[in-house]
Amino acid sequence: MQKNLAKTNTSIGSVQNITLIAVIAAVYAAITFVIQPLAFGPVQLRASEGLNHLAAWHKRYIIALGLGVFIANLVSPLGWIDWIFGTMGTVIMTSITYLVTRRVKRAVTKIVISSVVVATIGMAILAAEFTLAFNIGASGAFPSGSNGGIFAQWLAYYLSVMPGEVASLIAGGIVIYALSKMIDLSK
Amino acid sequence: MNNIMIGRFVPGNSWVHRLDPRTKMIVTFVYIIVMLWANNWQTYAWTAAFVVALVKLTDQPFKLYWDGLKPIFWLILFTVILQLLFTPGTPILFSVGPFQVTVPGILNAIYVMVRFVLIILMSTILTLTTPPTSIANALESLLSPFKKIGVPVAELALMLAIALRFVPLLMDEMQKIMNAQKSRGMSFSTGGPIKRAKAIIPLLIPLFIGALQRALDLANAMEVRGFKDAVQRTKYRILSYQKIDKVAFTALIGFVIIFFVIKTWLHG
Repeated sequence: MQKNLAKTNTSIGSVQNITLIAVIAAVYAAITFVIQPLAFGPVQLRASEGLNHLAAWHKRYIIALGLGVFIANLVSPLGWIDWIFGTMGTVIMTSITYLVTRRVKRAVTKIVISSVVVATIGMAILAAEFTLAFNIGASGAFPSGSNGGIFAQWLAYYLSVMPGEVASLIAGGIVIYALSKMIDLSK
Repeated sequence: MNNIMIGRFVPGNSWVHRLDPRTKMIVTFVYIIVMLWANNWQTYAWTAAFVVALVKLTDQPFKLYWDGLKPIFWLILFTVILQLLFTPGTPILFSVGPFQVTVPGILNAIYVMVRFVLIILMSTILTLTTPPTSIANALESLLSPFKKIGVPVAELALMLAIALRFVPLLMDEMQKIMNAQKSRGMSFSTGGPIKRAKAIIPLLIPLFIGALQRALDLANAMEVRGFKDAVQRTKYRILSYQKIDKVAFTALIGFVIIFFVIKTWLHG
């Protein structure tokens, strides 16, 4: 298979790229559906989030993960809110991972950088989603000078999504590391 | 395992089922945006009435909507508690450590809970009456203006369609791998979080390798059949707006106008 992968054309529209992106997106969604103790909302644990590390190997995975999150969120009770924020959030954080790790060679370093990016920027966006959707403008809440109420709420969400995400990132990191030894993910 | 359904679509022939998926997506989108402007009980009552009417029109048992609320119960509870603790104002009812529970805090908590329920009900109406493939088609159509600024909408839509087709296949494959590992003495449902996370590794690696092989096979199959690019792809189902879509859009416009009339009028 390594030989086949090496042939992959890198333009976005090439057939292999299309099918690879689609199938990785499907892997993300399938993992979310099969292993789902708590896949939505704060205190979430999505095993599939561990796949975020893939973006450190190839920009193709940025789109794959965005689509995967979108499909997984098709069953989210929050509908549109999760579709937009979830997908955009994933695309933003994985793009950053890709850009930051472009020159990094070692798999472990890639995974560590990716974990930091996802845990800080990615989860900050997710926490912002909850803050924005449920709190801003609620009955004209948070009048000016509300003791940093918005920030406090954002922080509360942020801290609550963190443990599950870190667990997924560590488990995902081990899987992706093992995988990177078996196939060349950057091709 | 071949009949795994993704999404929460329930087939039916209700008025809402027959709407164009694009109509449903636009209505739910506009509704959620408008609802964020609600700021008193009258506007919330009006937005709630609109959703309840739509729920009635879907002809589905209320239990299905209740199921949509359940997985997100903790999120609702968490948010309500946050509202209770972080809303300043007077009169203060009592203090818990550094936090104060105030009357505006309680009002906020109630409004936020209502907002949650409305968002979930509206989203459930959409996912209950629209299969995921229709949502994907509708999205392609709705995003087509972005082609002009260079977004590869056709390619993305094709990827989404392939991915949706592969999800049940891969879920099936995961189940098979899990069974194979279980028969070798692996346990996926016992032990602490670390043990469980470790158990996922021997599940994901075969899944991944199998999936990559499938992707390459599919690419070959597509090329052999003369696939050139996603842009010139033809469709089996072509979306077209019908009379009931016009009715739905009229209802939406009516909803928005009355909403803002109530809102400005009551602020006089």
